[in-house]
Amino acid sequence: MLFKVFPKEELSRLYTLLAPDRIIGPLTKGRDQHGHPLYDFAVSRNFAELRLDYGQTLHSLKNFFLPYREDLCSFSFPKDGSGNWHKEVDYGAFVPLVFFGLHPCDINALNKLDKVLLEGRYPNPFYGAKRAKAFIIGHSCTPQPFCFCRSMGTDTVLRGFDLFLTPLDEVYFAEIASSRAFHLLEQLSCREPNDHEHRRYRQQITTRESLFEAQVETSDLTKILDLEFQAPVWQEWGRKCLSCGTCAQVCPTCYCYGVEEKVDMDFTRAHKEKMLYSCNLLDFASVSGGHNFRPQSHTRLKYRYYHKHRGFVEAFEESLCVGCGRCGQSCLAQITVPEVIASVRASGGNE
Amino acid sequence: MKSFAKTSLKSFLGVPLARPRVAFFELSSCEGCQLQLLNNEATLLEFLALLEIVRFREGMKEASDDYEIAFVEGSVTRKDEEERLRNIRAQAKIVVALGSCACFGGVNQLKNRFHDLEWVKQEVYGSWPVDTQEAKPLSAFIAVDLEIYGCPIKKEEVERIVTDLVLGQQVRHPQYPVCMECKAQENICLFDLGEPCLGPVTRAGCDAWCPSNRLGCWGCRGPAPEANLTQLYAIMRDRGISQERILDRLECFGGFAGFVADLKKEKGEEGKE
Amino acid sequence: MMIHHEKDPAAAGAQFEYSYQAEITNVYPLTSAEKLYQVQIIDPDEREGFCFQPGQFVMLEAPGIGEAPFSISSSPIRHGDLELCIRAVGRMTHFLDRMGRGAIVGISGPFGTNFPVEKMEGEDILLIAGGLGIAPLRSPLLAVLENRSRYQRVDILYGARSPSELLFVYEYAVWRQFGVGLDIIVDQAEEGWPGPVGRLTELLQQRIAGGVAADFKQRTSAIVCGPPVVFRFVCDLLIQAGVPMEKIFVSLERRMHCGRGKCCRCNIGSTYTCLDGPVFDYWSVLNLKEAI
Repeated sequence: MLFKVFPKEELSRLYTLLAPDRIIGPLTKGRDQHGHPLYDFAVSRNFAELRLDYGQTLHSLKNFFLPYREDLCSFSFPKDGSGNWHKEVDYGAFVPLVFFGLHPCDINALNKLDKVLLEGRYPNPFYGAKRAKAFIIGHSCTPQPFCFCRSMGTDTVLRGFDLFLTPLDEVYFAEIASSRAFHLLEQLSCREPNDHEHRRYRQQITTRESLFEAQVETSDLTKILDLEFQAPVWQEWGRKCLSCGTCAQVCPTCYCYGVEEKVDMDFTRAHKEKMLYSCNLLDFASVSGGHNFRPQSHTRLKYRYYHKHRGFVEAFEESLCVGCGRCGQSCLAQITVPEVIASVRASGGNE
Repeated sequence: MKSFAKTSLKSFLGVPLARPRVAFFELSSCEGCQLQLLNNEATLLEFLALLEIVRFREGMKEASDDYEIAFVEGSVTRKDEEERLRNIRAQAKIVVALGSCACFGGVNQLKNRFHDLEWVKQEVYGSWPVDTQEAKPLSAFIAVDLEIYGCPIKKEEVERIVTDLVLGQQVRHPQYPVCMECKAQENICLFDLGEPCLGPVTRAGCDAWCPSNRLGCWGCRGPAPEANLTQLYAIMRDRGISQERILDRLECFGGFAGFVADLKKEKGEEGKE
Repeated sequence: MMIHHEKDPAAAGAQFEYSYQAEITNVYPLTSAEKLYQVQIIDPDEREGFCFQPGQFVMLEAPGIGEAPFSISSSPIRHGDLELCIRAVGRMTHFLDRMGRGAIVGISGPFGTNFPVEKMEGEDILLIAGGLGIAPLRSPLLAVLENRSRYQRVDILYGARSPSELLFVYEYAVWRQFGVGLDIIVDQAEEGWPGPVGRLTELLQQRIAGGVAADFKQRTSAIVCGPPVVFRFVCDLLIQAGVPMEKIFVSLERRMHCGRGKCCRCNIGSTYTCLDGPVFDYWSVLNLKEAI
């Protein structure tokens, strides 16, 4: 990794250099009933509206890579009544996107999605095409009370970005991970960091680490989840769960989907549309003929934890959860990952 | 209206397309759902080409009783409407309940909250002779084949449903609640703004119409197949929303009548706060 | 254009949404509910290049209507000239039911794992099917019959609800000519039914008792297909009889939207039914929560 520093006031110049592309960053979306600001990632119009000191956004940025709804293909049908058809596929990557100010959890989330969506036998070109056009600038964060990324090992990020910025007094400490980022920084007045800045950067890391409050004990979690598969505590969480799918919608790594095909009213075209789904929804595991493999809400909620914290670990040796805490923050029933996992760990003969 | 060209396609993937004869009826209602259908100028001609409409008071003068599909808007609030509905049932192969009034009683059923309907009649109509009874959904009197939810209905959804009928396909309704659609629009949750919202328990399909305009959901589409009302009620109470306000919302369209009845029974005493 | 499923990500990516156009060349009603569809990939090169193993499945798509996974019921040597046994239960299959001969559908695949019939050479093959489970089982059966001399005993134990729900009745004589032992049992007899009435497990108990016990456990490879309730009882019996779990194979059914490990609908715990299955050995099944 190459490191550089540049004066803070130069950041707006970096924004301007990138401005020919669409720049997505944390913006203020509104205020809650207590007057606290609420943030979300959106296309920005100018540097001034970026809120790089944001705590956490309400929603993740996944919809820029995995839109909530997306056409997988369209069909056209000639009007000759032949029953013939033609299929068209469009991966839906139109313009390069710049992501300005992503926290480590969200960059790690993309890295995890890459594993399941781009590796293996059937890489997903819809995701891949959008991912390939992204330029990512990370920004260090201040841990919020609900953040448990440190437990998930996603509080720092080693790859998956072009540039990562940490504010230090009067300068930004920049980690450069791509040649495009390197050349961009050449256009700013940047220089090598000095010893003092090295020290300050490392101090910063230590200070940040001390700020984490929420945590999840992950040791042996895959085994504990297997052991406590029948634990009654799941049913308690199931009673609370609204089966509304909110947790999956705001999650930066939930990628499950459903498919719906629609014929236009003139019967000359049809679309196969994908919509992000949630394993908490009633019909997630129902099959034609009516059988539902997970009819009760607690079995579906449990499944979500199994996929995130056991299944994905088994397949990729890391959890699918990045500890961003959005699911717990947006859950009206206040079901949070740290509490669920602590309750499951406390099940059985653990006294 | 009869002059609109039929769809030029007679079949789709080798399967013959139906062009059903369709009639629209209204019982006690605002006829807003029917108006919704006419509102969509961009696709109106295509929509009309799918169907042979033989009766549609808001759009044509002619009226025939020779139809296969009857779209019935409104709830039943009078004796003569009961009879009219039974006649429609006898004629139609498919009876579609169009909109919340037809599906659950809708706003009309709010009057059922008053135990003394004679008193209500007196208050509203004075000495004017009006025949009125408890407002009920179509399903209280006849078998309904298909329900199209919403107050008003959503045109795009009706178009999709009619396309399915023409294709001879089973009709799909979303199995998930409004929250899914609301989150897909990345709205600020109404609860964060201190507003009550029935989004977590109400059947989706409206594309979170109200929440996207910063109005909490009133449940016009009725409960989702899995609706954890007990939990949502507790959540609302925890957030300081009064039972009266919650009940107002749950009772507005009639879709949650069962839960409301249980709740009132259970909380009968503390109900008055 | 020859298209195989390559491990090369670029090639696989290009065909993520690729489907072969295929014609429904024939439809045979098997019972009142199930039909056998002959589905032929139209392009001759694509048809020849379509290679699958018994137990794999395809996604079949009626454009604009829907797409669903189906086990292939035909012999692998027929390549892209497929036979699919389909029961009309959902939106898509009901529409398919009305499409009939000459209609053009989309096929993608083949997907998933297969029954390792080549590894079973030299063994007794025991095929156990409940209901529609005979459909995925017919492909390994035909594959075994192509090389009949390489196998010892080949037996089918087949249970159906009633005689009129039996599938592939017209083929039984041919199977028997190949030296296949075919035992059928029904839950409910109908008039003129000469065979036994009872549960599939009763047939299996007889088969186990009938063979020399040592032989049975040493030489048998079993393939089990059917509704979830069949698996546990049948597989438990096989294990009690001493058949090693890694020689018992089952095919699982789940909802699927992609067939490619991306939609998650078919997941069982960590496992994708579409990638890691649908064929699992019973040891793997035991390690899957809520599998059966």
